[in-house]
Amino acid sequence: MYAYDAYDHALVKSRVAEFRDQVERRVKGELTEEEFRPLRLMNGLYLQLHAYMLRVAVPYGTMSADQMRRLAHVARKYDKGYGHFTTRQNIQYNWPKLSETPDILDELAEVEMHAIQTSGNCIRNVTTDQFAGATADEVADPRPYAELLRQWSTFHPEFSFLPRKFKFAITGAATDRAAVKWHDIGLIVKKNDAGEIGFEVLVGGGMGRTPVIGKTIREFLPEADFLSYQEAILRVYNEHGRRDNKYKARIKILVEAMGVEEFQRQVEEEWQRIKHIPIDVPAEEIARINAFFTPPPLPVLDDNVPSVDDLARKNFVFASWLKNNTNPHKVPGHVNVTISLKPHGGIPGDATDAQMDLVAALADEYSQSEIRVSHEQNLILPHVAKKDLAAIWTDLDEAGLGTANVGLLTDMIACPGLDYCALANARSIPIAQAITKRFDDMKRLQDIGPLKVKMSGCINSCGHHHAGHIGILGVDRKGEESYQLLLGGSGAEDASKAAILGPGFNEHDIVDALEKVVAVYLGEREEGEEFLATYRRVGQQVFKEAVYDAA
Amino acid sequence: MTLLSLNGTVAGEWGLLGENEAPAEGANVAVSLERFLSAEEEFFESAGAVGVLVDTETSYTDLAPLVNKLSFVAIDFPAFTDGRGFSLAVRLRKDLGFKGEIRATGHAIPDQALFLLRAGFDTAEVADERKEAFENALSRFSNFYQADYQGRASVAHERHTPNEHRKAS
Repeated sequence: MYAYDAYDHALVKSRVAEFRDQVERRVKGELTEEEFRPLRLMNGLYLQLHAYMLRVAVPYGTMSADQMRRLAHVARKYDKGYGHFTTRQNIQYNWPKLSETPDILDELAEVEMHAIQTSGNCIRNVTTDQFAGATADEVADPRPYAELLRQWSTFHPEFSFLPRKFKFAITGAATDRAAVKWHDIGLIVKKNDAGEIGFEVLVGGGMGRTPVIGKTIREFLPEADFLSYQEAILRVYNEHGRRDNKYKARIKILVEAMGVEEFQRQVEEEWQRIKHIPIDVPAEEIARINAFFTPPPLPVLDDNVPSVDDLARKNFVFASWLKNNTNPHKVPGHVNVTISLKPHGGIPGDATDAQMDLVAALADEYSQSEIRVSHEQNLILPHVAKKDLAAIWTDLDEAGLGTANVGLLTDMIACPGLDYCALANARSIPIAQAITKRFDDMKRLQDIGPLKVKMSGCINSCGHHHAGHIGILGVDRKGEESYQLLLGGSGAEDASKAAILGPGFNEHDIVDALEKVVAVYLGEREEGEEFLATYRRVGQQVFKEAVYDAA
Repeated sequence: MTLLSLNGTVAGEWGLLGENEAPAEGANVAVSLERFLSAEEEFFESAGAVGVLVDTETSYTDLAPLVNKLSFVAIDFPAFTDGRGFSLAVRLRKDLGFKGEIRATGHAIPDQALFLLRAGFDTAEVADERKEAFENALSRFSNFYQADYQGRASVAHERHTPNEHRKAS
């Protein structure tokens, strides 16, 4: 993975010193709260319902075992012993003291971590495929390009005060696990006939109150032009994006208003004007960054491991875990292990300091000291030898991390909701807990099969409800929490927007309604057909009738 | 208010002209964008150097045809969160090759001093009590991931440039 050089270290250290000074000036009253707010947000510090919340970047979801241990340490020393992994592959701490946040950032800087641009109207942490560099279905590792974007976008003199926040996602695989079509800019790494790297560029995707699927404006952008083209897009957005209404300020609104052809034309014109200036990095720099992502030298091993098969025959949960929580690796005899942070009845995405320490120890022993965070709020051990799977699962299971539900109904995305968030209209966590308890039966879950449930506690859709096969949206209806059901969304390469099924439910009835939707699917499905395919084939009406007629 | 130099350029003195006021022969004057765009040849002939006051709504395409008659641009920030002012400065410097003074007025905060400098601003009009904070902020960082318009290369380029050719940092 990427390692800082003296330049990177100096930048992050200067940033911590700057933030310490900003906090001091705020405390002394030299900065108004209005002025401090965007500055603290650009350093990931929010003021939530009960306390400050600090969002720490995990750039493109990749970190080392040592970094994970430091995150555990921060949870223990400065918080209440836990952290929350987010849909942007970051981690949030819910209870830091304002006065201690500079110290937290100092401790993070020691292990090459920061909270830069994890919030605010600027370019945010770039997200990617959690299996990048390790998955069998990949054209190229997207992380070197994510690192290029990270550096280019950090403290950009032109793009640090944009009309609104700006999110990139990049994938290098045919299977889109990074939801690139739902981002302000989505990038797909491709190779042309000559074997050269390039990028399909999509713009104007986004969730929030106006969900839009991104549109392609470049089929193949050559590697050498990577950054200057992004700069051209950002320039058009920065100049023409709306600043009069924050609900209409995202690039998706601009692209819709301008029309994608006109937007594309302006970007190309801008790009022609600026591509001669040194925005793109020299080829040596791409090579330097690429070298950090050289795949680990794994031995080719036998795919058949009798000891693992034996345990799977005896233990249904382990067998389910093997099926659901492992993903094919490039190198035979290896897999990528997904550690579910969705225990039934638990808080989606939360991990305790002890759990983080355990994951770090397992990474040191079994996964080249490397850990990933997925946008689905789970942790990944990449590059694991199959022969080690029984030992890993046993350790995870003892720590409450052995849930075998990855990709199944209870592997829910959920935002923190009204329990923490100042923007939320409704609670998310208790609903997620009720749903995962209702479906706390591995045989039943396994029978239902792949099903993505995504829940947000307000229209801002941090929980990606628009992209859920089943989405749940918490709203405020005359002072009461109400939950809407949405069906048919997808965040994958076949991206689609979920449609609202009908009137909302209270916190108990939403769980029953979801169960009815599942029952309709089980009744309608054809042999081997997954939920989304059945929904797309039979349509919304049959689900609507079952949910509302019986209610 | 104090005029602060961000990059060592001495802040120029620009007499602000009212809408119908004629410039004194050879005087350095600054006018509104509207007046600047509609001014006749003789206006430019009688004045010394001419500057213009613009806000962040201004597109650089408005200034493009007249940039060679222009010696000074003051960009007014209605709010420090309005990032268009930074782009306008970058475009003046880089796309239009403007060599005169660019000044930030209005609501910019000390924490933006380096953003202003790196976008191409030479000077900023700041509240007296904030001058020191602005000056401190100017030396906060010494390297940047982007090339700037003061002639400093990006970190990505510096990494691959032999030491003796490096720009000061």
